[in-house]
Amino acid sequence: MNLLFKHWQQRWRMPELRLLLLALIVSVTVVTAVGFFTSRVENAMQAQARQLLGGDLVLTSARPLDAAYVQRAKTVGLETAETVSFPSMASAGDKLQLAQLKAVSSGYPLRGDLKTAPAPDAPEVASNGQLPAKGEIWAEARLFAELAVQPGASVTLGRSTFTLTRVLTQEPDRSSNLFQLAPVVLMNLDDLKATELLSPASRARFNQLFAGKAAVIKTFQQALEPQLKPTERIRTLEDDLSSVQQTLQRSGRFLGLAALLSVVLAGAAVVLTSASLMRRELPAVAVLKAMGMSRRQVLFDHAFSLLLTALLAAVIGVLLGLVLQFALAEWLSRFVGKDLPAPSLMPIVTGVLTAVVLLLGFALPQLLRLVNTSPMQILQGALQRPQQSLWWVVGCLLLAVFGLLWLQSRDLPLAGMLLLGLLAGTGLFWLLASGALRLVQAFGKRIGAGWIPALGRSRRAVLLVVVFATGLFALLLLTTVRTDLLDRWAETLPADAPDHFLINIQPAEAEPLTRFFDAHAVKLNLYPMIRGRLVEVNDKPVKPDDYENQRAQNLLEREFNLSSFAEFPASNALLEGKWFAKGEKGLSIEQGIGEMLRFGIGDKLTFDIAGQRFSDTVTSVREVRWDSMQPNFFVIAAPGSVTDMPQTLITSIHLGDKKPLITEMIHQFPSVTAIDVGVILTQVRSLVTQAGLAVQGIFVFTLIAGVVVLIAALQSQKAERRREIAILKSLGAGRALLRQRIWGEFLLLGALAGVLAGLLALTAGNLLAYYLFDLDINLNLWPLLVSSVIGSVLVGIAGYWNLRGLLTVLPLSLLKS
Amino acid sequence: MNKIAIQTNDLVKTIPQAGRELHILRGISLTIDSGESVAITGLSGSGKSTLLGLLAGLDLPSSGSVKLFGQPLDGLDEDQRAALRLGRVGFVFQSFHLLENLTALENVMLPLELGTQTGDRTALATQALQQVGLAERMGHFPNQLSGGEQQRVALARAFVTRPQILFADEPTGNLDRTTGHEITELLFALQEQFHTTLVLVTHDETLAARCQTHYRLVEGALA
Repeated sequence: MNLLFKHWQQRWRMPELRLLLLALIVSVTVVTAVGFFTSRVENAMQAQARQLLGGDLVLTSARPLDAAYVQRAKTVGLETAETVSFPSMASAGDKLQLAQLKAVSSGYPLRGDLKTAPAPDAPEVASNGQLPAKGEIWAEARLFAELAVQPGASVTLGRSTFTLTRVLTQEPDRSSNLFQLAPVVLMNLDDLKATELLSPASRARFNQLFAGKAAVIKTFQQALEPQLKPTERIRTLEDDLSSVQQTLQRSGRFLGLAALLSVVLAGAAVVLTSASLMRRELPAVAVLKAMGMSRRQVLFDHAFSLLLTALLAAVIGVLLGLVLQFALAEWLSRFVGKDLPAPSLMPIVTGVLTAVVLLLGFALPQLLRLVNTSPMQILQGALQRPQQSLWWVVGCLLLAVFGLLWLQSRDLPLAGMLLLGLLAGTGLFWLLASGALRLVQAFGKRIGAGWIPALGRSRRAVLLVVVFATGLFALLLLTTVRTDLLDRWAETLPADAPDHFLINIQPAEAEPLTRFFDAHAVKLNLYPMIRGRLVEVNDKPVKPDDYENQRAQNLLEREFNLSSFAEFPASNALLEGKWFAKGEKGLSIEQGIGEMLRFGIGDKLTFDIAGQRFSDTVTSVREVRWDSMQPNFFVIAAPGSVTDMPQTLITSIHLGDKKPLITEMIHQFPSVTAIDVGVILTQVRSLVTQAGLAVQGIFVFTLIAGVVVLIAALQSQKAERRREIAILKSLGAGRALLRQRIWGEFLLLGALAGVLAGLLALTAGNLLAYYLFDLDINLNLWPLLVSSVIGSVLVGIAGYWNLRGLLTVLPLSLLKS
Repeated sequence: MNKIAIQTNDLVKTIPQAGRELHILRGISLTIDSGESVAITGLSGSGKSTLLGLLAGLDLPSSGSVKLFGQPLDGLDEDQRAALRLGRVGFVFQSFHLLENLTALENVMLPLELGTQTGDRTALATQALQQVGLAERMGHFPNQLSGGEQQRVALARAFVTRPQILFADEPTGNLDRTTGHEITELLFALQEQFHTTLVLVTHDETLAARCQTHYRLVEGALA
């Protein structure tokens, strides 16, 4: 063992082993950092989702819930809490305001925390389980403004009068209803009865919250489901993700992608370095075998060295990964919360496995070649590499790459597709590189530069171009993904994106309200908003039970927002059919709802709108960008077809620094409700920036991996170069000429690699944009130019730096060594 | 000790080339006694190195037999032949073949580390380097040594296990005349000191003349 360790130490003197370690460290670091980080974010997202519900499981109904549910939950050890919410008017003095009353029992919220402030502008603090005392209420700052009151004021709700004591700044379950009509007023459930506000006719929502161990919750849910009444529904974590969470998931995908590219690049470096390591070890093994070393000893000696290197890389990589994920978490801390849950230990396993798989698949086949070295070769002058079946080497490589892809994606079909993509990519790179070099060769002949045609024939040049191009491609793809895609995505949220939604606008107020905003140079696009329930498809009644999908069931239980207008919404895309021509009837539906509820063009839909039936046929299907901050509708009827239905109007406006207009507007149009989405928008936009930074952190590692590959490729060809330079020097080539030739060769190869990488990154970036991120194709030719310049400069410098040492030595000593 | 170190009988080596058999060695029969010094000479391509490899058991003949230390090599696999050489056979090569990443001392310690040899390896290797006059350069890497010095290290490496047989393949082939002469003197001095059987392949007739026995190979056969 000591001896094996000693031999490892002696091999450590070779740059190849150090490069191998570096390549492995890069892969392990990037894999564990991303693994740790995404595991923490996933855990946080789960926790956040629970907070959004206010519990682990929420039973919701339009009718009071049976006390038996609570009894049963208590017997299995679950915590419970109850909330009742409904809209009601709040008054103070002569002022009136519609408020969303929320009466909560002790224990609320079971997950997450309430935050309050003593006054509208004071900093918020966590309530730590405290709730409004009897006779007191807490309310959102908006209510203070609307009623023009300060903390301590008396506010009347129904038959009771309360003291308004604190400003409610956050309830965990608020974001589940972004379009809250009115400011929330939180009161103690014990006070509810005395207000006499709750009657069987009230549009109240009764929620029963449950929290406990995941397994108990699951069993409880399973027992509960068959007994639910038609009006009762279970809300779980699977409910829609918020836009923030969607953005976080996108960041996760970016990070995974970046990690994968780094690992693949590092893999290329491992192949190249282990091949040169093998070449260097070949004479040593032949000599040692002549001295009497057995094949087993050769195998043990080298396997130990490789495994020790992998282990060292794993330890260093895991530690660096841990540090790096803290940095990542710090970058995104505003969005994922300072108290991110601890990561699982799985990324350590993944990191170690990555190192081992890289070595087994990429380096082991080379090692086995060493074992078969014939000692006889040492007497025969030139050492031949031991022959080995190409299929075996390629098989090992493919298996290892597949293993790595699977380790990263945890998705077998996806790993298969990625592998095929990678193979196709490498093949394409090889073909394009050979083709490009052939062109260069022809060009070289024409201009009479003697060394250029030689370049076109050499496989070494093709290898360099492919390696550099792959490295550059990865770097470039990430850069375009990071800047271009994120910009394009952010562009869809322009700086003048709407920051307020105005809802509850009565049809009679449409004209004066438009005039009001016109006077302040704010353009208003009013859309009718009609609440209707889908009751029939093609004259057949539809029921929630007809669908297994929970979202489909929810959609049928709730009322849809329908609208009707003539102009095609700018943030939508027409997928099928035709938008309404003048005088035409019909319905335009959102793609997702059609797929979920299984209807499409030509199907007749019937809605129940406040007791009236309304039917029409689907004539077009739209794709809707829900994050566009524009009013979006599942179903749009042809203009004029629903004018006689009860409706309100909705609009979204960009106010920017004209925000005080809202208060003025409320005074003139008291029933209109304004929702400030500016805050949400700022949050989403800055999250995109932060996510970009996080990807950049990982991008640094891809850059390092790319440089390692570059050096590995140069190192693997150094012996050949050394001979070549020695021969040229002995033939009389001066240092100036050699220098010129080296620069020329590497600048040319780098530029070629750059153009190839640019072309492929452009293609891949657009494919990603289109399929993964739902963005449009964009042929930005900048990457081509930038990458050819970066390629030639980077490769030129790296090539010259690697070979410069050879220029100063004497030709004789070059030949000797 | 076995009186006979190496014995061959009708040794033939052929290799397939362009669809037909190429005869490298034709019917070599010879006997080398323990402690004897033997030179094998011949033109380039006459099969000298192939013969050396077969005598050392680095390769197997196409037909005929080799006995090393009285043990027939046919029927032994690569590892069994390696085990037979371990600690009993030393090599010196034309291009030295020192391990580049190892110091002179570490290179000399290598054969000791391969065997089960106990005792202070460092002391033994140091002593071997002192014997070849390189005590001062033990910590140097091969690329910091001259050709003559590298071959001295190779000699120290070959003799450090006190081998019964030393195989030398053109030991002076890469050295100038003076250095070559020094190495020759050192080689024979050590051979004499340790009573080693020496099998030497060379172009150099003067070097061959220093050996007790001289075989000439002409087109794969003993002349």
